Amino acid sequence: MSKSGVLKIALAGNPNCGKSTVFNALTGARQHVGNWPGKTVEKKEGAFRLDGREINVVDLPGTYSLSAYSPEEVIARNFIVDEKPDVVIAVVDAANLERNLYLTMQVLELGVPVAIALNMSDVAEARGIRIDLERLSKLLGGVPVVRTVGVRNQGIQELVQDALAAAQAAAPDFKVNYGPDIENELAKLEQMSGEHPEIATRFKLRWLSIKLMENETDVVAAVAEMPGGSELVSSAQYSIAHLEAIYGDDADIAFADRRYGFISGLTRQVVSRTRPDRLTVSDRIDQVVANRVLGIPVFLLMMYLVFRMVQDVSAPFLDWVDGVIAGPISHWIIALLTAIGAPEWLQSLVVDGIVAGVGGVLVFLPGLMVLYLFLALLEDSGYMARAAFVMDRFMSLLGLHGKSFIPLILGFGCAVPAIYATRTLENERDRILTGLLVPLMSCSARLPVYVVFGLAFFGADAGKLIWAMYALGILVAMLMGVIFSHTIFPRDKDAAFVLELPPYHMPTLRGLLYHMWEHTSGFVKKAGTVILLVSVLLWFLLNLPWGVENQRDSLFGKVSATVAPVLEPLGFGDWETAGSLVSGFIAKEIVVSTMSQIYVDTEQVAEEGVETTLGEDLIEIFSGFGTAASDAGRELLSIIPGVNLTAGEIRMEDTALTAALRTHFTPLAAIALVAFVSLYVPCVATLGAIRHEYGWKWVVFSAGYQLSLAWIVAFSVFQGGKLLGLG
Amino acid sequence: MCPLSMAPTGEPMKIVDVRAGCRLRHRLSNLGLLPGTVVEVVQSLGHGPVILAVGDTRLALGRGASHKVLVEPASSVD
Repeated sequence: MSKSGVLKIALAGNPNCGKSTVFNALTGARQHVGNWPGKTVEKKEGAFRLDGREINVVDLPGTYSLSAYSPEEVIARNFIVDEKPDVVIAVVDAANLERNLYLTMQVLELGVPVAIALNMSDVAEARGIRIDLERLSKLLGGVPVVRTVGVRNQGIQELVQDALAAAQAAAPDFKVNYGPDIENELAKLEQMSGEHPEIATRFKLRWLSIKLMENETDVVAAVAEMPGGSELVSSAQYSIAHLEAIYGDDADIAFADRRYGFISGLTRQVVSRTRPDRLTVSDRIDQVVANRVLGIPVFLLMMYLVFRMVQDVSAPFLDWVDGVIAGPISHWIIALLTAIGAPEWLQSLVVDGIVAGVGGVLVFLPGLMVLYLFLALLEDSGYMARAAFVMDRFMSLLGLHGKSFIPLILGFGCAVPAIYATRTLENERDRILTGLLVPLMSCSARLPVYVVFGLAFFGADAGKLIWAMYALGILVAMLMGVIFSHTIFPRDKDAAFVLELPPYHMPTLRGLLYHMWEHTSGFVKKAGTVILLVSVLLWFLLNLPWGVENQRDSLFGKVSATVAPVLEPLGFGDWETAGSLVSGFIAKEIVVSTMSQIYVDTEQVAEEGVETTLGEDLIEIFSGFGTAASDAGRELLSIIPGVNLTAGEIRMEDTALTAALRTHFTPLAAIALVAFVSLYVPCVATLGAIRHEYGWKWVVFSAGYQLSLAWIVAFSVFQGGKLLGLG
Repeated sequence: MCPLSMAPTGEPMKIVDVRAGCRLRHRLSNLGLLPGTVVEVVQSLGHGPVILAVGDTRLALGRGASHKVLVEPASSVD
């Protein structure tokens, strides 16, 4: 027991065993999500109180084993070995006992107190699978086994009671018999390691001997550094050679073989089936969804629907949030600041810097919430795993696996959640490589730039320019994928695509909303702070030296003018364009608003011109929300082919801007500029996400390579076009 | 004996060998794909990627992995 009196529980389990539902049922809202130190693996911690006792719960990463083959496994194992939780709850999918017990056995072999949660037991029962709890407990050395249904909070109380009891008792006496050949070698190693006190206090000796013989690199390395360790390691190597000569196979395979042998004997005694389980409903769905002919069309249809939902359903809400922030909220703050007699510069800082910055984040929220809701639906229902399977072949052309497709698709919405979504990938190489390609997907913030330039220069053909830019992003991403996987990210021949496909099931509303909330609030916290800081910084740049009248003379104007000559060969070397691009670094859609501020140089029409009362503001807010909701509803219906409730409206806003653009750019330069915007540096929030996930090194790399890429492409477009006589 | 990528669907097959580097072998063994295990191909995308039934679990294997797992009809031994 920890000295502090706080009890520590760790949750271990396979992916898809419902571990997070057990975690949520245990801790409720008292959770903290962060990263494991130095890793891009998510760490979830929570706490609850029982009988006045504080109990901390750590959700270990979902793994199939506790070896050292992935960062998740190393984290889970090291936590149990080094942090010594008072009890480990092994969460097991009751409908999949045989495979799930593999991990449980490894936890038991660590010699720590364990309680087993036989989770999703309702699903198992529905499928006619019966499990003899008492027998299972006995065969596993007397550990408590509790039937649970995490999503419905069933069995959780009993699980806690049993886990606490297990924490007080001695660790269960559990041993797998590996057969005389292996046991002989294990006994020798155990005896040897027992002679070195430092080793004997740090490790459970039988477990250590097993790990040394499985040749697990990190354990071997740790032991080799301890007194008497190198001797121990070399005699383990000798044992391995001896075994491999007997079995004609790798020693670690022999261990896995024995464990599965034990498990299959155990399940024969413990599990009974009331009916044979041949083709399940899931298999039937897969015959359509993962079909060799239909698989890809079904996938594309799904993605199209998600996209339409995000774009169409969220757009009305987006306008509403934008309107509320620029309108009532700004009015109220100005009124409040005036009332307390704040100087004008402070008002400007708060409204133009802070409120505008926070607004820039909030404006994305409706879209993100819709996106996360649908992704949670695809994920929780089990479809996402199939999508990865279907797309695997295509992705392998880019040196990636099927799973990488999901973050890339997310990138069309917003790169920030897309970067965080790379967490689901198995190894660091895939995570970083995917993260480098994500910002090349044209996110929704780049669309306004395409639309404004498309309408200004190509009128009715604007759509073609927009599609061309989406295609450009995808093509460049494919090209970069091929290049990266042949240079800095060599393919790992041994990292094949292997993925468990969980059975399809109906997601619960609670689960969907929970995931939506979890991801959205994460985005606000992480991206929000970065955008806020940079917005304030930009405000200062625009207003320094203090009291500057003309933007050209501000620090911002000067920086822009310094950058401008670099852009000259691309067809847009004036400081205004450079300035717009620099500000687009905060969020891509700002490029348009900066241009309209700089180019359309009439005095900015003061938005606070109209006096409104509090009542009018409130009415505007709520009626605006109503309109947004009904618009979203109509858009939703219009996704069904043949239903069109929104008469084809092209928003021809800002005609002054389009006219101004035509005088500043040639059509060729406009295409070069749009291409540049589609590829250049990821926005601040994305870089923030990249730093958070992969570290500073990749922030620099990502910004650098995309900037060069954008320059090269825009240069080729402009100069190539001129050579062809198009300029 | 043939690789999983060419195994017929809907028939129990027994794994004879996994011809891969030790990391992939280890990963597959963690998921229960060991020599001697009986599996069944439930779905094939053609030329490689397959969905396997291993007991109650369904596993998707990309073509790289499915070419490396050698199987034979489960009835031909014993």
